[in-house]
Order: sequence, then structure tokens, then C-alpha cells
Amino acid sequence: MSQVIFSSWGRQIVDNRQGGETDLASLKLKLPDRYLENGAIGAFMGWDGIIVLDRETDIVAMAAEYMKRVQEKYCCAKCSPGKKGTRVLQDTLARIVSGHGEERDLEIIEGLSALLDNCKCTLCMTSALPVFDTVKYFRDDYLAYIRGRRKAKPAASYHDKLTAPCMDRCPAHIDIPSYIEEIKNRRFDESLDVIRRNMPIPAVCGRVCPHPCESACRRALVDEPISIMVLKRVAADHEWMHHKRPPMAPAGSREKTVCVIGGGPAGVSCAYYLALEGYKVTILDMLPEPGGTVAVGIPDYRMPRDLLRREYEIVQGLGVEIKFNTKLGRDISLKQVKEQYDGVFIGVGAFRSKPMGVEGEDQGYEGFSEGGINYLRAVALGQPIKTGKRVIVVGGGNTAIDCVRVALREGAEDSILVYRRTRKEMPAESYEVDDAEEEGVQFEFLRNPTRLVHENGRITGVEVVKMELGEPDESGRRRPQPVPGSEYVIPCDMVIPAIGQDPDLSFLEEDNLGIETTRWNTIVTRGGVLMTDCKGVFAGGDCEIGPMTVVAAVGQGRRAARAMARYLETGRTFLDEADAMEDLVNNLGVFDKDEPVGLAGGTHREHQPKISGPERARGWDEIELAMPETQAVREAERCLRCYRVGMVAVG
Amino acid sequence: MVNLKIDGKTVEIEQGATILAAAEKAGIRIPTLCFLKKVSPTGACRICVVEIEGVAKPMAACHTPAVDGMVVTTQSEKLYATRKQIIELLLVNHPLDCPVCDAGGECELQNITYEFNVTRQSFEAEDVSPGTIDGWPLIQQVPNRCVLCEKCVKVCHEVVGASALFTNDKGDKAFIDKHLELCEYCGNCVQVCPTGTMISKTFKFRARPWELRKTATVCTLCSGQCETEVQTKGNEIYRVVAEDGCGSNDGNLCIGGFFSHGYVASDRRLTAPLLKQDGIHQQPVSWEEALSRVVEKGRAAGGAACAGLGSPRLTNEENYLFQKLFRAGLGSNNLDSEARFGFLRGMMTLRDQLGLGGASNRYDRIGSAAAVLVFGADVTAEAPLVDWQIERACLQGDGKLMLANMRRVKLARHANIFLQYKPGSETGLALALARLIVDKGLADEDFLNQYLADPAALEQLRTVDIDQAAAAAGVSRALLEEAADHIGGAESVAIIFGGDLLKGCQAEAATAALADLALVSGALHGDVGGLFPLDEKGNMQGVVDMGVAPELLPGQQDYATARSRVEKAWGVSLPSGGRDAAAILEGIEQGEIRFLYLAGVNPLVDFPESGRWRQALDKVDFLVVQDILASELTECADLVLPGVSFAEKSGTVTSHDGRLGYLQPALKPVGEARPDGQIFAELLALLGGAPVEAAALQTEIKDLCGLYEDVCFTGRGRRSCQKLPWQPQPKQLKILPVSAGDPVEGLQLLAGTILFQFGSTTTYAPGPAEVAPAGYIEMNPQDGKASGVREGGRVKLTTRTGSAVGPVRFSDAVPQGLVFAPVHFADVNVQQAIPIGSCYVAVEAGKA
Repeated sequence: MSQVIFSSWGRQIVDNRQGGETDLASLKLKLPDRYLENGAIGAFMGWDGIIVLDRETDIVAMAAEYMKRVQEKYCCAKCSPGKKGTRVLQDTLARIVSGHGEERDLEIIEGLSALLDNCKCTLCMTSALPVFDTVKYFRDDYLAYIRGRRKAKPAASYHDKLTAPCMDRCPAHIDIPSYIEEIKNRRFDESLDVIRRNMPIPAVCGRVCPHPCESACRRALVDEPISIMVLKRVAADHEWMHHKRPPMAPAGSREKTVCVIGGGPAGVSCAYYLALEGYKVTILDMLPEPGGTVAVGIPDYRMPRDLLRREYEIVQGLGVEIKFNTKLGRDISLKQVKEQYDGVFIGVGAFRSKPMGVEGEDQGYEGFSEGGINYLRAVALGQPIKTGKRVIVVGGGNTAIDCVRVALREGAEDSILVYRRTRKEMPAESYEVDDAEEEGVQFEFLRNPTRLVHENGRITGVEVVKMELGEPDESGRRRPQPVPGSEYVIPCDMVIPAIGQDPDLSFLEEDNLGIETTRWNTIVTRGGVLMTDCKGVFAGGDCEIGPMTVVAAVGQGRRAARAMARYLETGRTFLDEADAMEDLVNNLGVFDKDEPVGLAGGTHREHQPKISGPERARGWDEIELAMPETQAVREAERCLRCYRVGMVAVG
Repeated sequence: MVNLKIDGKTVEIEQGATILAAAEKAGIRIPTLCFLKKVSPTGACRICVVEIEGVAKPMAACHTPAVDGMVVTTQSEKLYATRKQIIELLLVNHPLDCPVCDAGGECELQNITYEFNVTRQSFEAEDVSPGTIDGWPLIQQVPNRCVLCEKCVKVCHEVVGASALFTNDKGDKAFIDKHLELCEYCGNCVQVCPTGTMISKTFKFRARPWELRKTATVCTLCSGQCETEVQTKGNEIYRVVAEDGCGSNDGNLCIGGFFSHGYVASDRRLTAPLLKQDGIHQQPVSWEEALSRVVEKGRAAGGAACAGLGSPRLTNEENYLFQKLFRAGLGSNNLDSEARFGFLRGMMTLRDQLGLGGASNRYDRIGSAAAVLVFGADVTAEAPLVDWQIERACLQGDGKLMLANMRRVKLARHANIFLQYKPGSETGLALALARLIVDKGLADEDFLNQYLADPAALEQLRTVDIDQAAAAAGVSRALLEEAADHIGGAESVAIIFGGDLLKGCQAEAATAALADLALVSGALHGDVGGLFPLDEKGNMQGVVDMGVAPELLPGQQDYATARSRVEKAWGVSLPSGGRDAAAILEGIEQGEIRFLYLAGVNPLVDFPESGRWRQALDKVDFLVVQDILASELTECADLVLPGVSFAEKSGTVTSHDGRLGYLQPALKPVGEARPDGQIFAELLALLGGAPVEAAALQTEIKDLCGLYEDVCFTGRGRRSCQKLPWQPQPKQLKILPVSAGDPVEGLQLLAGTILFQFGSTTTYAPGPAEVAPAGYIEMNPQDGKASGVREGGRVKLTTRTGSAVGPVRFSDAVPQGLVFAPVHFADVNVQQAIPIGSCYVAVEAGKA
């Protein structure tokens, strides 16, 4: 493990220049010691200070380079102290490094660092911080330059990255501050352009994303987090509501072909970014309908089907061909696909329901659904399926919540969710649990099914056992334990188990292409580029991560597309600068929940209007109504634009 | 409401307001540089930073919301030092060319530098700002003077809706750049620029701001009638600007107001009366001789053989005097104006149907409408001020914008729904929208029951065939339904229609259908929204209101009904009969009209069938042309009378929304030119009428025109006076039975207006000529190819009326089947091919 020579990261000063040893791990700093193939990392400089790993690193030269990049590459110039101040800093540092500095230059740097506290956003403000640290803690190095006793010894290379807490936390790494800024400026088309750089299905992720970004929103440290997801929907809906044609077009045309298996969020993202690069992309999808799990796993009242279809029409408009009703392993083998195309992306999702492990579930009772995801799919595709009058759904995740709510809309008089822990531990999004309750869903917490009760092969109830919470398990949630002898039967005429799903990878078995899988039945990929053990075959989304979120699948689809493009051009797979720096800052962590932000708050998050519970419970109309654009602008104005720049010195 | 304390003063202000607004309310001044009230706050300069108790960092007052219980300090030693340092930073590499900078003397950076006593520079940096941008027409950009306040960017996007300006590049190299193809050359960027960054090329280096004499007046180039300030030196206009907070234009101007005043100083101005002496050559004559010649020739011809055409370029008083000159002085009611070809047709329909003689509400009530329908208008070209109101409603606000038009105009960029209809389908389309609203149960039932003379007449709308209308228009029914949902479902609706509809062959029926739509959609209900007919020409409403039409007496009074009252007031008997423009033209051709007086109007360019007018004018025995600029028309005249421009006279003009604007003379008339009203008054006196004084004239107009009884003509220091808004009368409004009309067949030629020119007047100004120097013909590339013409080549357009030739521009703004030509230019003179009664007509296009 690397030793830290000096660190001011997180305002905690560790100075071992005169001796002493501290390793990165003990400081909880997740900074790698090497950068790609380029060599050892000498130092990192960024929004929260500096970390020096190599005492040979020329910190003054690094500060000068850092400020140059901040000013010339990233400073948006939209506030005076930022625009002019970082230029003065850049030139002052350059002057010092070139041997023409004076001692009073150090005062100018210190003074400006304070003045940059007046900046409009945090980009220049946080960039002044590490430079200020260098002057404070490496003053002798500066003086050596100023007194002509030192010549610059820059690192072999520097690599920088613009980030923000929300942007870093978003698995698709959307440039959130930028798209919010465009909304603030009432430029919805431009906002959507920014989103689409990382997210090809904004109407979807503007609606159903669990928005991890919002848990890394610095505004929450001041008052309430920005409604980042809804703002994305506003930008996406603006285009649709104005009947505008999306502006994207493929850059040229390339000969190489790619087959994407599975047209869910991961597959379509991979297809979209490859198509934009000019590759000929074909999506094979087992469904008769575009959208993958979004279409058949997310009910229409959360994600209207016409809007989902529109997203796919846009992708098709880029030349992507979608072959529906084509299932891997049934209609075509992976081997065949691999032979026919130059690159393959597997994004088959995770749609096989896990068994509950209760007595009777393999008996094929009438009224027993194979699984929540199967039930949702059947409803979504309009397949003949009979929903009972009194339905029990088992599970606590999003699929379970979707099932109880769909059952209501499909005519259930009672829709009951049975979960073995309490509401607090439910993995489902809490607002969806609230939504379900408003619609009349009943909850049976701390109950676990033990047996299916039937009469002549027809479900009449579920025997459950009462549970109590014990010690926390590895997930940090208290482990539920059955209360012996507390079993009783809840009468019902339908049971839907929704306790989880995993990928169906049976197609791998026949071809024996050497693709490794995990014990959770997911595909193994290597090196952050998402290639499987079979050359040219990539994988991403739920079949790689395990059942996750749309946005995680999109992030992987996009990264895979970029890696595939490099593979198709060079025959090699490797991380590029953008990926590497993305991972580097992501590991280091960008959001600090304990940061004293020091800004005025007192404002409230804007909410989109919603149809009332009882009114919406029996219909399929979208329950969340569009947020008026003026309200969106108001919400966007709350954004603090928490940009920051990190840079490593390598070699 | 929230309560906060600023510098010890308690202030209460509405939720969501900024600290800056709260301070202003408390009478506390916080210095600002980038703040501009009419756009969203930018927070760029950080000069307005304040301290807030319990908050570690300084906060910009202009975009930090005031929160209950906040304790704010706006002045402290630290804040002063911070602000001063920021100003120092702003001045790093700011050029010291203030002596030759246009902003010198009115520069906000100068002012704030002075205020903070910034006398030295602590910072230095390399100057990396890009060089001056000289390549843009009309506007120069000097990046090293820029403080990047983004006022220009915001005005361009939020107010004008052009979205041409943007910030380019990063860091200190960043500068304001422009998508040139989106620029409307309104000059608002120049107006809001706090420094000398955005420079008007027509003004540059010509005057110091403090030398200029300022005269508050009104722009008369379009019916928006923006309130302006004409700035003069000597006897010349140097620039025209507008003041924020003043009038519906709120400090904004368009290319017409800002860049097009050059025609006033044109070397083609008429400076002395000219009389055709030998039947060929015009020679200067004295006014005495000129006027006596008019009297002599007019009298000799007799009332029945005299005809006159008034003008929307003239003031109300002038038009009033003109019609009085004809009716009382010459005994002729052969009197009309170009309102005949469009505006009057719609207006007469609205009068009949709704008792409405113009717009139903004020322009600024469009800005808060929840839905706006623009129908058959290029609002941007016809009345930019109305465009800005639409941007306020739909770009700054949450209003839904529906655009129905034959060609794709600028507003299509912002429209929720663009119904690109085919020529001849407009009535059906409007009726279909009305029916859909009724069918969907979205009609404003209470209002209709209260105000419709016969609520059962609504049933007529049930006979409209929606699918047929959609098919005829070439739009999908789904789109139509969506538009109906927006219009029918909105709290408040503004319906705006203009030249492409009002000058079309279905003007009357389509207006009636739009009035039906206004009724059922609730556009006529309440304080917000309304029904707005528009015409590009400045005082079109005034011409009609003053009775320059054979069927109308002043005050839009029906000629027959009000005749005796006017006769009594004037002490004369009024002539019977009367010819409108088309009948005057026929009369000339048949030798029945022998004396023609054209006051501020040029039928050779501005009127449909201009070729026919050209031939007819040769037959007139005595042609009087009163105008300000020499033209092909003045060359034909037997007598040329030099009138004066808007800047050289006083008087009033009326906008469609009933606002009376006051012209103030900023210049002395050029040469011997005389204010047009004075010419008419003198002629009237020579013909035996009583001499007219300005004050008495205004009283006379007020007394005689019920329409103007609630406004004041003198201004008394105010810029304009708004008439009381129209109020519907219970049980008086009608649904008129109109039918969809027949669709037209084949390639159609549409003549209309463009943003860069106003009438033909501005073609004499050097400003607009930089961006629209000459006429052209816009064709869809497919049609162009089919007609065998190439982009940039010349095309000959032939219609049943005549033909016109001009250079071709390929554009997909016109759909296949439609050819568009602007009407402003004498060189193409498309009006030769346009029939009286319709601005679109079947055409054959071929290589010229």
C-alpha cells in the first residue's frame, strides 16, 4: 500500500515530509498507486486538497498546471471572480514556475483564493483550495522558485477530470449540473443534448430512476436536495411536447457490425452510442415490444408505453435495427451471433423469478403466479392472465410494489403485500411504498410465507409465520427471525412471489464459449471494459451486475459501447482516459456528507403534481403529472453547480 | 410572505423574491452590474454579494431567495473590499479606450469603477480575449470590453426568443458569440450591454451620449408602436433607444425601431413641392402654388371624380383631416386605404360578430396567457412586440403555443404544435378547432350562455367536418385534437392572427371562424388573453378609426347612420356613395376618377395588382403624391407634396390594442417639407373650411369619435394612453354561419412581410439593407427543381394577375406547393402578381 508523503485531503493534514509513515488505507483514501499503463501516481490535487505519494513530485509545477487546466478547459466564465480570478492565478503560478515570480505573488494567490469564495459555483472556488494549500504547506518550494533556486520538474503526465457529487454518484455519470444549468436558462433542448451524451432514454430515467444522484446532492446539506430526476423528465418531455425532432445523427458510417442481445436499457444504450459512432447495430429482443424490462417490468402508470416507444423510435432513427421475438438460445445461438457480427453485447437482463422456497410452489396451483416479473410481463403484453379478487404479493422490492399496484388496476379488490421485515427495511423506494398505500394496498409486515393453501389445486390462502427482527445481517438490516408457532393462514385466491429475480443464462451452456459466470448467475466481465472471457463478446446491465437499476444498466451500456468501439478499431480492449479518471474519482469519492457548505438555504424542493391515490388506483394513466416548466426553472435555480476538478500527476 | 431584516430594517416580501428585491423594497441600494430586471437573474458579476447571519459564505443578492428570518448585511468593510477587488478583476486587461468607446459616458462599468474608487490595479494577467468581431452585420462585438454579464444572451433568448447569442469558449477567452442565422438584428443586445461590447455599427463613433437630445416618441413602423426615445444632434437622428419599464415594449426594440431610422435622413427625402410643369419635368414650386393647384384641380374635377388614399404611415389627426378634406372640402367620399386589402376585412367581420373594432385586449395581456394560438401570421415580422409577449407567455411562462401558418416562421421553433396548413384551408381549420373544443366539452359554457345572442347557434359548429378540414389543411387529426385540448383546456387564451389570413381570399370567413374559436375557447373571457388581429403597418388602426374608408366615418361609425351627426358637426352636407380602393382603381381605368390624391401611400409597391395601378396612374388627369421619399411613384406625380417623417411631427397613432401613442417632433422638417396634417389643414382652409388648431382638432376628434372619448390626446408627459379594454355586451355576440371554403389547387404564391423590413419605407434605410438588401423569392427546393430553377438563379412567377421576376432562395421554411415572396421590395415587386382580395394565388414558376 502506498505511503502518503503529504495530504490535506478532507482538511486533515498529514505531513510525512520530514519522516513518518501513513498509508492511504489508514486515511481511508481510495487512491490507486498507478494510473493505467502510464506509471505511478505522484500526487492528486482536487477540490478537497492535495495528496502527495511521491516526494519527487513538483507540487508548484503541478499547481500551475492544475490552474491552467481549470481556467482553460473548465472555467465556464459565467462569473467574474471565476473567469478573471483563475486567469490571474494561472498566470501568477506560471510566472513563478518560469522563474519570474516575486514573493508578493504568493499574497496574490492567497488573496484570490479567498476572493473566489464569492464565485457563482464551486468550480473555481474548490479549485483555488488545493492551490492555496500548496502555498500554505509548500511555501519553501515556492520560495525556491522565486529565488531562482529551482527549475520546474513537471510530472511525465497529468490527467484531469471534471466532476460533481451528483454526476459522480450517477451510474451513467450524466453531467447533471450542466443540464440543470440549461433548464435554469430555459434552454430545454440544450439540456436534453447534455443528458443524451450519457443517457439515451431520458424520458425513462426522468421517471423511474431511483436517482442515486439526489443522495449525493450538496443542496441537501443546505436545505433539500434538487429534484434531479424530475428535471430530466422536464427536459425530455419538452422535446416530446413540442413535437421536436431529436437532433442526433450518426457520425459517418462504418463497416463493422454489432449485435446487441436484449433491448433493455443496457442494450439500447450500447446500441445508441455505437450507432452514433456510425456502426451498424442490430438488437435482438425476445419480446414483441421495445423496452425490455422497462416495458414489461415497469407498469404503464409509471412509464407510459407511448413515451417508451418514442425513445426506441429515436434509436431506430439512428439506423439501429431491432428484431423482435428473437430469443437467444431459442431462435439463435450465441455462437451464430458471434460469427455473424464483429462485436456482441449481451444485455439479456434478469427476468427469471426466484422461488420462495415454500411448500407447494412447484405444484402449479391455479392462482399461483410463477413470479412477480412474470405477472407484470403478462399484464404489460396484454396476455390472458386472471388476476384474483384477493391477491397476495410476497416481497419488499420494487417488483413487489409494482405487482400489488398492478393487481389493483387489474381488478383485485384486496391487494396485500406480505414482507418479512418492516417497512423501514423495504428495498423498494419509499415514495413508491407511500404511493401504493395511497392507492389502497394493504401491508402485512413481519410475516413470511411458509405454505400455500389450496383446495382442489386452487389457491385459497397462504400460511404465514410471524417474524421478529434480530441482529443486523451483512446488509446492515436487522435479520428477521420466525416466531415459532405463530403460523396462521391469510385467505386469498392469488399469490404472486416477488422476492427477486436473476438472469437466465441457459444460452451459455450450449455454445461453451468460455464465458465465466458468478454464483449469482451473472456474467463475469473484466477490467472495467465489460468484455467477457470470450473475445469480442461484452456484457452489461442486470445480467452482469445482477438485478439493478435502469440507470446502472445505461451506464454500463454506454461504457461497453465505448470500449467496443475501441475494440472494433484496434482489436484491443482497454480503459481510456475518461473511463480511468471516472473510476479514479469515483473510488476516491466526491460527495462529502459532512461538508460544511456555508451557503444560505431555506428553500424547498419542487414536486411534480400527482393524481390522487384512489383516483389513479384503477387506471393506467401516468400518475405523476408534468412539472410546469417555470416550476422546473425555479427548482433548477436551487442547484449549487458543485463542479470540481481533480488531477493526477503521473510518473 | 416572508419577513427578513436588511441592514437593520425589517422588510416583508413575497415568497420566492430575492434579497435584492427585498432590499429595493426597503429602499436599500445594493450595487449591481449584471442585474437586469426584465430577465432571469444571472449572478455573474458577484458585486451584489451580501452577508447573511449564520451563513459562512457571501451570497449574491440578485439570485438568493429571501427567507423568513434572514438577517442580511449589505454594507461592511469586508463587502466593500470584496466588491472593489471584483471590480479590479473585471478591469484586468479591460482596454483603456473609453475616450473612443461608444459606451463612454453611459458605461455601467465606468460608473461602478468610479463608485468604488478603483484607482489602481492589483492583478495582472495575459490578455487572451479574442479580437473584435467585425463580421456581423449591424453589430460589432468587442470582447475585451465584455464583463460577461450575459444580459445580451438573456435578452436574446428570454425576451426576443431568437436565442442567437451564446457564450463561447472557456475561461478568460470566453466571449459572446452568435448563431448568425438566428439573429433578428433587434439591437436589444446593444441596448442592454453595460459596456461598449455590443456596438451599433450605425451609431459607432458618431456621437457622445451626453451630446444627444432625447425626445420621447413612438415608433410607427409597425402596429406594435413601441415607445422609443429618439436621440438627435443637429437636425439628425443618431440613434433610437427605448427605456425599460416604459410601454408594452418594456425597453425592447426590433430592427425597425433600432436600426431603420436611416430613411429619415435619406438623400431621397423630398424637400420641396414639385410640379410637373410641361407634362414631363417636375420643378420645385412654392407651397402656395402647390396648394392652390390642388384646390384648382380638385374643384375642377368635382367630388365624384376625385379620390384619395390615406395611409397607416400618417397619424390619426392627419388621417382625420385627410378624410375631412375629401368629404367636406372636395365633396368626395371616394376614400380608402390599404386597410381595405386586409385589416378592414377582418375588422368589419369582428364588428358585426362581436362589436369589436380592433383587438379585444391589451398586448401585454398576451404575456400571461396559458395558451396562445397564432393563426396566419408571422408575428415576428408583423409586430415584434407581440412576438415578445408570446415569448413571455410561452418561453418565460408555461403557456402552450400553437402556430397555424402556411409557412414555417420563427415561432415554429417555440411552438408546441405547428399546424402547417395549405392555402385555402384556414377557415376550415379554425372551424375544426372550434368544433373540437365544443365536442370535447371544453367550451366556455357559462360565458357563452351569458354573452351569445343565440347560444343555440353553437350547434352550427357541430356541422363542421373535422376530418375533411384536417385533410384539406394537410395536418393530422391527432395534432388538431392536441391543439384543441391545449386551447380548450387553458385558463386563458390569446388568439392572434395577421396578414397571411387577413389578406387571404378567405379573410372574412376565416376571421369569423377565429371569432367562433375565440368565443368557445374563452379567449374573450376575462382579463388575460384575447383576440388580436394584427397588421404590419404602423397606424392601420388609426386609418380605420379615423374613417378613411367610404363606409366608415370617424370613430368607426357607419357612414349612413352617423352621416347627419357629422354633417351637423362640420356644417356641411356629406357626399353620397363612395368608392373603395378597388372601385377607385376601376374608376381611374374607366376615366371616371381624374383627380387622385395619394397621401403617404405607394400603390406601385404596397398594393396588390401594383402593375395595374401603374398603368392606371397614367390615366389620371392630376395625380397628387404626398410623401417623404422620392420613388417610382413620385416620378409619376403631377404634383409632389413633401410631408415629414414620424420624427418631425407631433400627433397620435393608435395600436390595434387601443393604445394612443404620442409623436413628438425631434427634428425640424427637412427643407421646405411640411407636416402632413398642416398640408391637409391648409388645403381644407383653402377649400372653405375653418382653420384648424391642433388642440381644437383633437377635441373635434374626441367629440366625434365615441371610440376615443376615454383617452387623452395630449399625453401630458405620459408616453401613451391606453383606451379602456373592450367589454363584451351580454346577449350581443354571434356565432356566424361560415363554411370552410374551397381548397385551392396547384402551386401557390404567397406575398407577405419579413422581419427585416417594414412596408417599403425601410428599404430606404441603410441599416436593414445590410441584412435584407433586395427582394427575393423563396421556394421549396423540390418545387424549385420542378420549375427548372436553381438556388440563386432567377425565377419568373406568373399568375392570373400578372408576373414578377426575382432571385430564388431555396428554403424548407416553405412547404412544397408554396412560393413565398416578401412585399417590401420595389425590385421584385411581387404585388404585380397578387390579385386584389388575396395574398395567395395560383402561380406558374419558371426560369426567368
